[in-house]
Amino acid sequence: MSSLKELAELVITGDIQKVKDATKQLLEAGEDPLRVINEGLIPGINEVGVRFKEGEMFVPEMMMSAQAMKAGVELAKEKIGGTDIPTAGKVVMGSVKGDLHDIGKNLVIMMLESSGFSIVDLGVDAPVEKFVQAVKEHKPQVVGMSALLTTTMPVMQEVIRALDKEGLRSKVKVVIGGAPVTQEYAEEIGADGYAPDAGTAVELCKQLLN
Amino acid sequence: MDKFRSNYDEQVTPRLTWITDAQLEQIHYASLEVLERTGILVQNQEALKLLKEAGCRVRENRVFIPAWLVEECLRLAPKRICVADRLGRRIMPLEKNRVYYGTGSDLPFTVDIDTGERRVSRKEDVSRAARVMDYLPNYDFIMSYAIASDTNPCVSDLHQFEAMTTGSSKPVIFTAHNAANTEALIEMAAACVGGEDNLRSNPYIILYSEPISPLVHTNDGVGKMFKCFEYDIPVVYTPGVLAGATTPVTKAGCITLMNAEGLAGVVMAQLKKKGAPIIIGGGATPMDMKTTATLYGAPETSMNYAIMTQIAQFYGLPNFTEAGCVNAPLPDVQAGVEAAMTIMLTQLEGCNLVHDVGYLEGGKTGYLPFLAICDDIIDMARYTGAGTRITPEHLAVDCIHEVGPGGNYMGHEHTFKHFREEIWAPRFFIRYLWEQWEARGKQTPVDLALAKVREILAGHQAAALPEGAAEEMQAIIRRREAECRS
Ligand code: B12
Repeated sequence: MSSLKELAELVITGDIQKVKDATKQLLEAGEDPLRVINEGLIPGINEVGVRFKEGEMFVPEMMMSAQAMKAGVELAKEKIGGTDIPTAGKVVMGSVKGDLHDIGKNLVIMMLESSGFSIVDLGVDAPVEKFVQAVKEHKPQVVGMSALLTTTMPVMQEVIRALDKEGLRSKVKVVIGGAPVTQEYAEEIGADGYAPDAGTAVELCKQLLN
Repeated sequence: MDKFRSNYDEQVTPRLTWITDAQLEQIHYASLEVLERTGILVQNQEALKLLKEAGCRVRENRVFIPAWLVEECLRLAPKRICVADRLGRRIMPLEKNRVYYGTGSDLPFTVDIDTGERRVSRKEDVSRAARVMDYLPNYDFIMSYAIASDTNPCVSDLHQFEAMTTGSSKPVIFTAHNAANTEALIEMAAACVGGEDNLRSNPYIILYSEPISPLVHTNDGVGKMFKCFEYDIPVVYTPGVLAGATTPVTKAGCITLMNAEGLAGVVMAQLKKKGAPIIIGGGATPMDMKTTATLYGAPETSMNYAIMTQIAQFYGLPNFTEAGCVNAPLPDVQAGVEAAMTIMLTQLEGCNLVHDVGYLEGGKTGYLPFLAICDDIIDMARYTGAGTRITPEHLAVDCIHEVGPGGNYMGHEHTFKHFREEIWAPRFFIRYLWEQWEARGKQTPVDLALAKVREILAGHQAAALPEGAAEEMQAIIRRREAECRS
C-alpha cells in the first residue's frame, strides 16, 4: 500500500504506470480523491518544477512526470464524478496570427498544467478574434500570447486592443513571451507581464493571480 | 588551387568522411520509408495538386510519396547551381566540395558597437553588417544578420533586402514573409542588375525557406519557393529543427527526418518545374534540455552536418548547413571554441553554403566585431583545409643540404620565398610577447576587431547600384506597403 508521499515520489520518477497503479490503490483503499491530487500528485510535480529550475531535472524528465501526474489526476477525477476540480486558474494560450513557432508555447503550457492551471490551447497562427472568442467562451483569468517573429509581435497589441474594445481587458491578465519579446515591449503594449522562460512564466501567472 | 575548394585531388587536402556508403544508404532508405509510410502534410494547394497528379497517395492534405518518384526527382534536380554576385560575375558555383561562408538572417537583438548595450535590432544594423561583410574577404554571401524592427512589419523583409544589396555586391540569401513579398523582392533584385533577364541568367539572390518539422510543408513556405522557381531563382528549402523537440533526439533519427523533409522539397520543386534549382540541408541543432536554448554551438550540430553534407554529395545536390554560430552571449573563450570547432568541420566536410556565421546567444543576438573575428577563423580553417604541400620544392632537400648540420634557416632564400604561404598570419588574434602586448595597450582580439569594424564602416563603400535602382527599390517597397494596408 503506497502513501501519498510515495505517490509524490513516483510522479517525480515519471513512471506513468506506477503512478496509475498507486493512485488506483489509494482510491480503492478509500482515500479522498481531492487529497490524492492535492497532497500526492501536485506536491510531486511541484518538486519537479523546483528541480527543473535548479537544473537538476531536464525537459524530457519533466514531460514524463507531467504525463504521470495527469494520468493520476484523470483517475482521481473519475472518482469525484462531475464536480470540477479546483485549479490554480484558467489560461488561454496561443501563438499569434502569422506565427508558426510553438515549441516555447507548448513548454509554457506544459509547465502551467503541471502547476495546476487549466489551459485552453489556441494552437499556432491564432487570429485576434480567436483570442477574443476564447476569452468570452472560457472566461480565463489569464491570456498568454507567444510570438517569435518581430513581424508577429504587433498582433499581441492588436489582441490587447480588441479585448479592450470588447470590455474584456479588465477581466483578464495578459502575459506575453517569445524570443524577440522583452519586458519593455510588454510595458509598451500594455501587457501585464512578460517571462523569458517557462519556469518564470508559471511564477508570473501565480503572482498575477494573487 | 582556389580558396573555396576542399576534398579535391589536385593537391590532396585533408578529407573528412563521417560514415560509410552502406550507412548513407540506410539513412536514404529510412527517409524513403518515412515519406511512403508516414507521409507529409502539405498546406499549399498547388503543391498538393502536383503531388496528386504525379501519383502520390493523398488523403486530404496528407501526402504519401512513393520511392520511385523521389528517385525520379533526384535525377531531375540540378547537380550544380551557379550563383553570381550583383555585378553579374558568376563567382559562387555550388558544386561538390566548394565551401562558401556567410552569416544568418533576422537576429532580433544587436549589441550596439557605440554603447556596448544590447538592444532591439534596426535596419541600420542590417546595412552595417552588409558593409562589414562586403569588405571582409572570407564572407562569400550575405544574409541580413539583424532584423529591421524599426520598419513596417509588412515589408520589413524588403527593407532588409534593400539594406543588404546596397551595402554589398556579394550574393544574397534572403528571407521573405510570403509569396507576394518574394515576388516584389525579385523585382527589386532585377532592378539592381538591369532587368529580369539578367537576373535569370546570373541569379545573385537565393531564397531561404523552411518546412516545419515534423513533416509539415506550409502554404507560405512552399509558395515562396514556387514563386522563385518561376523566375529561375535558386531556393534553399531546409528545415530548422530542435532535436528532442521537433525531431527524434537521436542524431540518426534527426537526420532521417530532416532528409525526408528535404526530399519532399526536392519532389515538390521538380514537379513545379523540371530542373528547379533547389538546395538541401538544414539546421540540425539539438535543444538544451536544461535551458531550452537552441544548441547552435554544440558538437552534435557539427556531427549532424558532417553526415548531411555526405548525403547531399551522395545525391549530388548542393547543400546548406551552418557553423560559426554560438551559444555564448558575447565573443569570449566559449564563443571562439564553438565557432572554430564548427567552422573547421564544415570546411573539411566540403559543405556548399555555410550560414549563420557570427550568431551569438543561440541565434538571438548579433555583434559586428564577432563577425570580424569569425572571418579570421574561416581564414584559419581554409588555410588548414587547403592541406600540406608535398612537392620537391616543399620537401626542401636542397635547402637542408645547403644549411647543413648546425646552421639556421632564417636568412635562407627558401625561407624568404615561402614563409608567407607556409605560416598563416591572423589579423585579430594576438601573438605578441607579453611586453610587446603591454606596450600596445593590452588590446584583445575583440578590441582589434571592433577597431577594424569602425574603420570599415567609416571608409568602405560597396560597388554602386546602377542608376535609378535605389529609387526603383524604394518605389516597390512603397507599393507593397500600400497593398498591405488595403
Ligand atoms: C525552431 C525555430 C523555427 C522552427 C519552428 C518549429 C516550431 N514548431 O516551433 C521553424 C523552422 C519552423 C522556424 C521557422 C521560421 N523562423 Co524560426 N526559429 C527557430 C529557433 C531556432 C528556435 C525557437 C524555439 O523553438 N526555441 C526553443 C523554445 C523553447 O524557446 P522559445 O520559443 O523562445 O520559448 C521560451 C521563451 O521565449 C518563453 N515563451 C515563449 N512563448 C511564451 C509565451 C508566454 C505567454 C510566456 C510568458 C513565455 C513564453 O518560454 C519558452 C520556454 O522557455 C529560433 C532562434 C532562437 N534561438 O530562438 C528561430 C527564430 C525565432 N526564427 C526566425 C525566423 C526569421 C523564422 C522564419 C521567418 C524563417 C524563414 N525564413 O522561413 C520562419 C517563420 C515561420 C513562421 N511563420 O512562424 C527568427 C525570428 C527573427 C524575428 N525576431 O523576427 C529566429 C529568432 C531565428 C533567426 N535569428 O533567424 N523557426
